Amino acid sequence: MSISDIQSGTGTKTRNLSWPQIAFGVLLASLLLIPLGIDNAFVSHVFITICLFAALSTAWNIVGGFAGQLSLGHAVFYGIGGYAGVILFNLGVTPWIGMFVGAAVAAVVGMLISYPCFRLRGPFYTLASIAFLEVIRVLSLHFKDLTGGATGLMIDLRLGWTWMVFRERWPSLLIVFGMLLLTLAVSWAIRRSRLGFYLVATRERESAARAAGVRTVRVRLIAVAISSALCAMLGTFHAMYLTFIEPAAMFALAFSIQIAMFALIGGIGTVAGPLLGAALLVPITEWARASLGSSALGLHGFVYGIVLIVCVLFMPNGIMGVIKRFSHKKAKAADEPAQTETDPIIAPASAFATPDPDRPGIGQDILKVENLNKHFGGLYVTRDVNFTLREGEVLGLIGPNGAGKTTLFNMISGFLAPDEGKVSVRGLDGQFHQPNNPADFAALGMGRTFQIVQPFAAMTVEENIMVGAFYRHPDEKDAREAARETAWRMGLGPLLNAEARGLTIGGLKRLEVARVMAMQPRVLLLDEVMAGINQTDVRRAIDLMLSIRDTGVSIIAIEHVMQAVMSLSDRVIVLASGEVIAEGRPQDVVRDPQVVEAYLGKEFAHAHA
Amino acid sequence: MLTLENIDAGYGPTTILQDVSLDVKEGEIVTIVGANGAGKTTTLRTIVGQIKPRAGKISFMGEDITRLPAHEVVDRGIILVPEGRQLFPDMTVRENLQMGTYRKAARDNQEQRLEEVLSLFPRVRERLDQNASSLSGGEQQMVAIARGMMAKPRILMFDEPSLGLAPIVVSQVFDVVRQIAATGTTVLIVEQNVFTTLKVAHRGYVLENGRVVLADTSEALLKNDHVRRAYLGI
Amino acid sequence: MTTFLQVLLNGLMLGGLFAIVAIGLTLIFGIVKVVNFAHGEFLMAGMFVTWLITTRLGLHPYASVIIVVPMMFLLGALTQRLLIQPLMSAEDDHVQIFATVGLSTAMINLALLIFGADIANTPNFGLRTPIEIGPVRVLTGQLYIFIAAIILVIALQLFLKNSQTGRAIRAVAQHRVAAELMGVNVPRIYILSFGLGAACVGLAAVLIAPLYPTSSNIGTYFVLTAFVVVVLGGLGSIPGAFFGALVIGLVDSLSGFYIGSDLREAVVFGIFLLILILKPSGLFGKRMTLSHLS
Repeated sequence: MSISDIQSGTGTKTRNLSWPQIAFGVLLASLLLIPLGIDNAFVSHVFITICLFAALSTAWNIVGGFAGQLSLGHAVFYGIGGYAGVILFNLGVTPWIGMFVGAAVAAVVGMLISYPCFRLRGPFYTLASIAFLEVIRVLSLHFKDLTGGATGLMIDLRLGWTWMVFRERWPSLLIVFGMLLLTLAVSWAIRRSRLGFYLVATRERESAARAAGVRTVRVRLIAVAISSALCAMLGTFHAMYLTFIEPAAMFALAFSIQIAMFALIGGIGTVAGPLLGAALLVPITEWARASLGSSALGLHGFVYGIVLIVCVLFMPNGIMGVIKRFSHKKAKAADEPAQTETDPIIAPASAFATPDPDRPGIGQDILKVENLNKHFGGLYVTRDVNFTLREGEVLGLIGPNGAGKTTLFNMISGFLAPDEGKVSVRGLDGQFHQPNNPADFAALGMGRTFQIVQPFAAMTVEENIMVGAFYRHPDEKDAREAARETAWRMGLGPLLNAEARGLTIGGLKRLEVARVMAMQPRVLLLDEVMAGINQTDVRRAIDLMLSIRDTGVSIIAIEHVMQAVMSLSDRVIVLASGEVIAEGRPQDVVRDPQVVEAYLGKEFAHAHA
Repeated sequence: MLTLENIDAGYGPTTILQDVSLDVKEGEIVTIVGANGAGKTTTLRTIVGQIKPRAGKISFMGEDITRLPAHEVVDRGIILVPEGRQLFPDMTVRENLQMGTYRKAARDNQEQRLEEVLSLFPRVRERLDQNASSLSGGEQQMVAIARGMMAKPRILMFDEPSLGLAPIVVSQVFDVVRQIAATGTTVLIVEQNVFTTLKVAHRGYVLENGRVVLADTSEALLKNDHVRRAYLGI
Repeated sequence: MTTFLQVLLNGLMLGGLFAIVAIGLTLIFGIVKVVNFAHGEFLMAGMFVTWLITTRLGLHPYASVIIVVPMMFLLGALTQRLLIQPLMSAEDDHVQIFATVGLSTAMINLALLIFGADIANTPNFGLRTPIEIGPVRVLTGQLYIFIAAIILVIALQLFLKNSQTGRAIRAVAQHRVAAELMGVNVPRIYILSFGLGAACVGLAAVLIAPLYPTSSNIGTYFVLTAFVVVVLGGLGSIPGAFFGALVIGLVDSLSGFYIGSDLREAVVFGIFLLILILKPSGLFGKRMTLSHLS
């Protein structure tokens, strides 16, 4: 599901088109040219149905694929569009306006019903979407005055372009083809833009996306609004094409499943997938329905079900997945063998100043933590934690496992609300602010890593870093440029196009740091970034941290690698059982008897003495 | 008794262990030490069959167990006390201990063994009818070890038994490990707490970046310059 | 007053019906952690088989239990083995959702192909005869369903609590990896549990067939409510499903009578959405199951 290969080139004229792009273009063109050439009512009908489902499925894919929210209730929006179109039509309003009214209503309804559902995961979101569909269907049956109830609504007979109703098929084909192009263009634009990256990042790893400053609820709401609006417009078109609508058809679960199914079969989360799925399956079933008629009632549905099952079992990434595997194989054969290990981090000029609480370069306070308390049940995870961080300072945070270090990080990055106490960050305006969610912390220049690395597994290294880079560079090209630069600086240059899930632990740790560095933070929270990497890399990593520090970034580092703690930190805070038991210069702290007792152990003290 | 030969293993496309070889003899206490993420837990999970190695061979009492599913490995008496306790939260302590006897060779004389095991863990006896989730971290660790003992292990493996425990509890846990070893049970223990573990163990392996970089007796490792530098910050 | 009592009783009886459908669903979810979107179609299949046995062999519908329950167990076990198990390790939820949605679609349409769009009425052998209980009355078949639901809940609880296999099932449900370390053959427990859940819905099918006309889409009708019940009762909790079913039965009956029969579904699903959004652990769930929350 990486963004590169198949679709990305279609917009840039300067690049040579690859064969999948050409094939896609040919397929798209044939959707229009074949029915126009053959000029047969049934053929035209089949192609109109293909375009309609391809467009609906593409619109669904914005939510179901990019955002990963598997809705099986998308017929709601299609139905709203249909009803808005027909009701307004019968009031004398042209569907060309009606479709936008429907789109607006659907976007609002979509946001309203999605907002409370974002907390739900996987099948529960799906269940909620089905429940909403059922509620709306029942309501549409109930409010007969508006919807005509179970008897349905017929449009008055008015023909022509103004009314979107025609005797021939070709004008309808032109309209739906145009709408398909529009939907594809929207989908393509989203996928390439910051919004698309943010959606995929949110889908892959919500917490990491939030740490990168993504307002996850907002981006999902935008996706839902766009997707619902497009579905509604298609619903209006389809209502005009059918000239008759009823709740059972407009708000049908089976219809919703079909929309989602085409995307799955074509390749969920890809731009071209939904079109491929629809183009492949619709003709088969329409033909079966027409030729076998009522003798084969249920045949097409049965085929759909079987195809779905076979598809999830044997090609869960759909047709696009197969194409990608095929084209990758070819590309790999042509290229040199892929490099698997990362380059050494390019260590900058050696650290000049030895750590010292009062060395030059340390400025005013930038982060203040006051009386921070957090308890789960009766158990205190942190108790009255106080400290300040100054600009350009490196603060080491050590303590035994379970001492509350990561909980503390979660509270000073907005992931966890403290029970008591406050965290304030000095903004660029010189004032102290008290943000309360990850995005606001990010906006003040706080960046963090996670102890358990959280890569966006389906994205490449470059795309992972771009998610961070988008924070400073809204434009895709600038973000890509910035991401590349960061990657080379972090020694990830040769791996730019590798999928994140294939990296070693050391590589993933660097990626974690690279993503946050691409945000150009003012305060960097590093959670055990040196754990599990080897000695030479630890030394390089220390140099890298020092160079980051020397650009004026303040760092708080949770670390168990004492070598790093000792040589990096200006000051060290020791946390044990949620309380700060010591604070001061590293040399002094390691001699503190309490610290020896709680964390370092007597052996360490002996060895050091 | 237990031998790993040139094991490569990992999750998905990520390779973690590379060419890991080690062996444990009957009655020995062997430790694997290394930093977070060095591959210690992966080694244990590969031994019990929860991760299938890409290459190499694992044998136990002369039998090749490389490809066996986890439950069959356990059936042969290779018992892991996992990292983070992993008790069954909504079961009582007694039920948790009963689950320990699920393996076929451990099913008879349950009551008698329960008595034997509880004699090692007096605190656990007081908690028998409480839900496992209501116990403190130290108590949970004791139950996890007791549950492992219930399975009549031929080799008992510990994954970071001191993780997240207060120092005083850590020393209790190591006391228990010592007592278990004294009964003649073979022990393989994985720890970050390098010194304490090496003091308990006969031999040790040092794992870095998924490779065994050192293998020696505990005494020699305690004196080794690299170990002292890397794991003691000396 | 009598009317009110009658409405209440109807609600309870409906609750028993929902319970017996939902128990299998919650069992499967609680253990295998898969939402079986084809659960309603399992019910439909069981009802068609009951209808076939009853009409072709002229037997009492309840006699078909000896065929339907083992058959459904097999269907469930095969579903787990062939469809769900290969997808257990999938990273994305969507493949598992689509797998059972696909199964559901295939089964509905297969029934359409075989039995057509007509309704199949299972002979009721007097099960639709009302019994008078004081001033109110209830169908014999409904009463049997209610009793069967109670027995099923108790029997499952005893099995899960006291048998070695039952304990292994609970262990797998609570901590799959740890259960494996105890020597439990986890895939086999999954197959067994899915089979067991399907067998429960097979029993439900036998009991429901004489009371409701069977059609290809009967499953959808029942299963959506069963989902509501399962979520309300706390996912994976069998007693929760039972009490959740009673609540929904009462809500359904009362709202159908006092608000209007065409809106009762909206009320039921409205409650469902509120529970999903506000208290996803269910009304009777002890604590939040983190698996489905962020």
